[in-house]
Amino acid sequence: MKRDTDQKISVEDLLRLKRAERPPAEFWATFESEIRSKQLSAIVNKRPWWDGISRVVWAAHRHSALVGAAAALALAYVGVRYVGGTAGIVASAHTSVAQPATVAVAAAPAASPVARPAAVPEAAVFAVHEAAPVQAPVLAASESHITQAPVTVPTESASRSPFSDGIVITFSDIRELAPDYAQRAIFGSDRDFEPASTPARAPKADPLAGLDPAAERRARLLAPALPAYASGSSRAVASDWMKTRASSNERMYESMDQGPSDRMLVGFRF
Amino acid sequence: MNASKTIEKTLVASPERKLEADADLDTVRQVQAGDVAAFDRLIVKYRERVLGIVYNMTSNREDASDLTQDAFIKAFQSIHRFQGQSSFFTWLYRIAVNSTLSHLRKNRLRSFFSLETIREEDPVSREVIDALTDKTGVGRETFVRELQEKLNDAMQKLSINHRTVVTLFEIEGLSHQEIAEIMECSVGTVRSRLHYAKQLLQAELQPYLT
Repeated sequence: MKRDTDQKISVEDLLRLKRAERPPAEFWATFESEIRSKQLSAIVNKRPWWDGISRVVWAAHRHSALVGAAAALALAYVGVRYVGGTAGIVASAHTSVAQPATVAVAAAPAASPVARPAAVPEAAVFAVHEAAPVQAPVLAASESHITQAPVTVPTESASRSPFSDGIVITFSDIRELAPDYAQRAIFGSDRDFEPASTPARAPKADPLAGLDPAAERRARLLAPALPAYASGSSRAVASDWMKTRASSNERMYESMDQGPSDRMLVGFRF
Repeated sequence: MNASKTIEKTLVASPERKLEADADLDTVRQVQAGDVAAFDRLIVKYRERVLGIVYNMTSNREDASDLTQDAFIKAFQSIHRFQGQSSFFTWLYRIAVNSTLSHLRKNRLRSFFSLETIREEDPVSREVIDALTDKTGVGRETFVRELQEKLNDAMQKLSINHRTVVTLFEIEGLSHQEIAEIMECSVGTVRSRLHYAKQLLQAELQPYLT
C-alpha cells in the first residue's frame, strides 16, 4: 500500500507524525524507578489535614441521599422539640390562669421553710423539706421557661434545687431578724423563688364597644340647634366644644387690632 | 458506509475500548481491595499513551515525564474514589490533562522544547516523510528535524484548550465523546475547538501541505 506521491498531504497526516514520536527504551527504565520511589513516598508520607475533610465530603457526596435524609430527620426532630417546648410553656401558662386554686396549693410547700425556727440545723431543714412536699402533682408555673419542659412535675423536691431552698431559707432568716429590711426590695424580691400564683384575669372589655360613633356625632352637631338631641354626656361634650370654639373666636377677634388707618392688623397667638 | 463508520468512530468510543474498560475495571477493583501490584499493570499499560498526551501538550520531554508520573501517583492516591461510572483510561486521562493544564497555566511564559525521535515503524508516517523529502530534495534527517520543530511551533501557537483537543483527537485517536468527558465540556465545544484548531494549523503548516 504505497502512498501516491501526488496525493495531497493534509494537516492530519502531519499530526500523525507526532503520534510516531516515542521516547527511547532507556527512558522507560528511568521512568519506572522514579515512579516507584514516588509511589512509595506517597504511601509513606502523611496526608495533609485537609485530605480528611475532602474524604468526609467525598463520603457525604457518595451517600448524599442518606445524609440528606438524616439532616431532614434531625431538622424535623429539632422542630418538633422546639414546637413541643413552646406548646408546653403556653399550656402551663394557660393552666396556671385557669386553675389558680391548684397553684395556691403548690405555693404551700414553698412557704413551709419560711416558718422554720431559726435554731433548727440545716440538715434537718433539708430533711423536713424533702418530706414536706405534697405528693400530689404540682404545676410548674413557678419554674423558669428554660427548665420547664413538662407541664406538670411529680413532686416539688424534684423540681426545686437545694440552692434555691437555701436562698429561700436565708431570706426567711433576714425577714425574721430585720422585718423592715425584708419589706424593702433591697436585694430584689425573694418572691422569685416561690411559686407564683397568677390570679385569674377578668376578660378584657372593649371600652369602645358601647359607643355608637354615628349617634355621638349626630348629637354633638345637632345639640346647639335642637336641644332635644342633646342628652347626657353628648350634651356636655357639645357644650364643651362650643365653649372652646367661642373662646378661640374671642381670642382671634381680640388679636385683630384696628389701626389708625384703614389697615387691619391681624396677629395670631399660638 | 465507510463515511458513516468513520463518523461513528469519531463520535462514540469503539467496542474494543469498551472491552478494555471492563478489563481495567477488574484491575481497579483489585487495587481497591489492596493489591498494589495490580496498579503496576495499569501503569505499564497506559504510560506510553499518557506520556504521549502530555508530551504533545507541553512539547518538553522532562516536563512530560514528571507530569505523567504525577498523574499516576494522583490516580493511585485517589483510586478509592473511582467508582467505574466512566472508564479507567478516561479518568486517568482527565487527571493527566488537568495536571498538564494547570502546569501550562502556571508556566505560561516558560517554554523549553525538546524533540523525541520519530519512529518510522508507522507506515503512514514513513510515507509522509518520504513524500515530503522527495519533493523538497533536502536530506532526510534534516528535514525530519525541521518538520518536527515546525509542528511543535504550530502546536504551541494554539491555545491550551485547542492544543489539548487536537492532541486527544488527532494524535491519540479518542472520540469526541471521550474528549468531552475528559475535558468536562460538551461535544459541540470539542468539535468547534477542533475545527478552529485545524484552521490555524493549516495556516501555520501551509508550506508542507502540498
